[in-house]
Amino acid sequence: MPTSQSIANVKKCLLAGAVLAAALSPCIADAGLGQAETSVQTDAARLKGSIKATQYTGYHVQEIQMPSGTLVREFVATNGTVFAVDWNGPTVPNLRQILGQYFNNFVAAAQAKHAGHRQLQIQQSDLVLQASGHMRAFSGRAYLPQAVPAGVSIADLR
Amino acid sequence: MVRFMRTVAPSRAWRLALCAVLCLPMLSCGGDGSTGSTGVTTSDGGSTGLSSGSSGSSGSSGSSGSSGSSGSSAPTGPNVASVEVDGGPSSTSPDVNTLFTTVTVCAHGSTTNCQTIDNIQVDTGSYGLRILAPVLTISLPLQMASGGGTLVECTAFADGFSWGPVALADVQISGESASSVPVQVIGSASFTNVPADCSSVGPAEDTVATFGANGVLGVGVFAQDCGAGCTTVVDNQFYYSCASGSVQCEPTTVASLASQVTNPIVLFPTDNNGVIIQLPSVPADGAATVLGYMIFGVDTETNNASGSQAILTVDSTIGDFTTVFNSQNLTTSFLDTGSNGLFFLSSINQCGSNLANFYCPTSTESLSATLQGQNGTMVAASFSVGDAETLNDNITAAPMLAGTFPTSFPGSEASTTFDWGLPFYFGRTVYTVIEGDTTKVGTGPYVAF
Repeated sequence: MPTSQSIANVKKCLLAGAVLAAALSPCIADAGLGQAETSVQTDAARLKGSIKATQYTGYHVQEIQMPSGTLVREFVATNGTVFAVDWNGPTVPNLRQILGQYFNNFVAAAQAKHAGHRQLQIQQSDLVLQASGHMRAFSGRAYLPQAVPAGVSIADLR
Repeated sequence: MVRFMRTVAPSRAWRLALCAVLCLPMLSCGGDGSTGSTGVTTSDGGSTGLSSGSSGSSGSSGSSGSSGSSGSSAPTGPNVASVEVDGGPSSTSPDVNTLFTTVTVCAHGSTTNCQTIDNIQVDTGSYGLRILAPVLTISLPLQMASGGGTLVECTAFADGFSWGPVALADVQISGESASSVPVQVIGSASFTNVPADCSSVGPAEDTVATFGANGVLGVGVFAQDCGAGCTTVVDNQFYYSCASGSVQCEPTTVASLASQVTNPIVLFPTDNNGVIIQLPSVPADGAATVLGYMIFGVDTETNNASGSQAILTVDSTIGDFTTVFNSQNLTTSFLDTGSNGLFFLSSINQCGSNLANFYCPTSTESLSATLQGQNGTMVAASFSVGDAETLNDNITAAPMLAGTFPTSFPGSEASTTFDWGLPFYFGRTVYTVIEGDTTKVGTGPYVAF
């Protein structure tokens, strides 16, 4: 699997760089937040999940149902950029996959001093991430405030 | 109102925060069960701010200046284990509001190939015994996966993972013994090739320093850590089969529930339907040490009888109930000795910097909430939130320690959770009854206090 994905990864990296100016770190991730919508297919394959798409005004949602029971959702702007993700279920999904390059931010925050093992929060101008939960019940969300489509409010996402 | 009285050592904020990282949950509620009222003034002049729920905790012992569950109600017997809040394994970065006990593990059937391990965290928010490999000095037989490899587990937290093989151990806690208990050995040097689906949930928590304890004893409402899902789903994210010498571990089912990492309590011959955690009240400005009891079984002995506690049944798959706070129904709330504070979303000032996500109100906040079981039983609880930055340097038990809890979904700026961490247990006797098990007053999964 790593071999077959390597070329696609390069493509996505280039695409992501074009779409998201904030993408400063090397493209080490396959897909996910801040990437192009085509990355959702990669994510679903990596998560071994099935996809269901739902259209809303100004964006659409790709739902990835994982075998473990956890539901991952990727919110895609009309320009094709994944501007938000969330997850909910009995297990924590592969966050390196769905957070893309922002997984590094997550790890850094998790290794820094914070409140307990049941939660993690990042509040930055270019990234909002919240993860929480206990054994058998985890949830979280992350979004890129500067990539939220015009006319769409995070509070409107459903 | 006097808050924390003494000056804060510069190192305190650092230590507390670090501790928070290492330790599990946080939350504080506190309470003096005997009074059931808020605003109790302690003898040393501190204002408590914490008080327990109106429903009352029964059987809680009185508070003392700096420690101690003492008094006439001290339980005794082979089903009673001592527990304490004392900072844990690190003297340089002690844990805050983290409950510890001591367990003895033996190779199956042996009475000599045994090891007694202290600083095992008591956690009602997880299920099963996990021991850090660097601490373990005896050899325990590893469990095999159905495919023939070694059964290895990924335990996920909201901020990282613990990876290691499943071994069989006879587990003794106080006078209770369980035979052939599947336990996880975290951070084993023999299994370092962590699958991407495990390592990609966050950083590793596989040393005593990163874990904050020598191990964790998960004594929550469920018998296994994963449960039914892992008996049929290959990609369950809990269990993997690692062939000897193989560079790759493959996801695997664990068809038998009995082979999953198991809450040791359910394997005790008797006193196996739940656990009672009994901790004394803690003064508002905290205590250096708190001593309490973990009593095994409910309604199985004279020392673990159900009383008039309110019984809150919890969700049968995730163990949660509802808390009504600020007129909002927080439907994924839980009691958790593994949380080191009371965590809930509020407009109270956050500390920032080293104490990110803890609350630092300018004066003590006295609040209340209602805990509501799936069975509809409602219990009010009063609690107070103090300034996390002003805790004295020698304090490891802080009843007013509290912080935020994240929102759950895009589309909502509201949290659905009230994480009632260890401070809730101060001054209370809290019953945790395991799924499917019965007592004289109900059937688990339920919590009662």
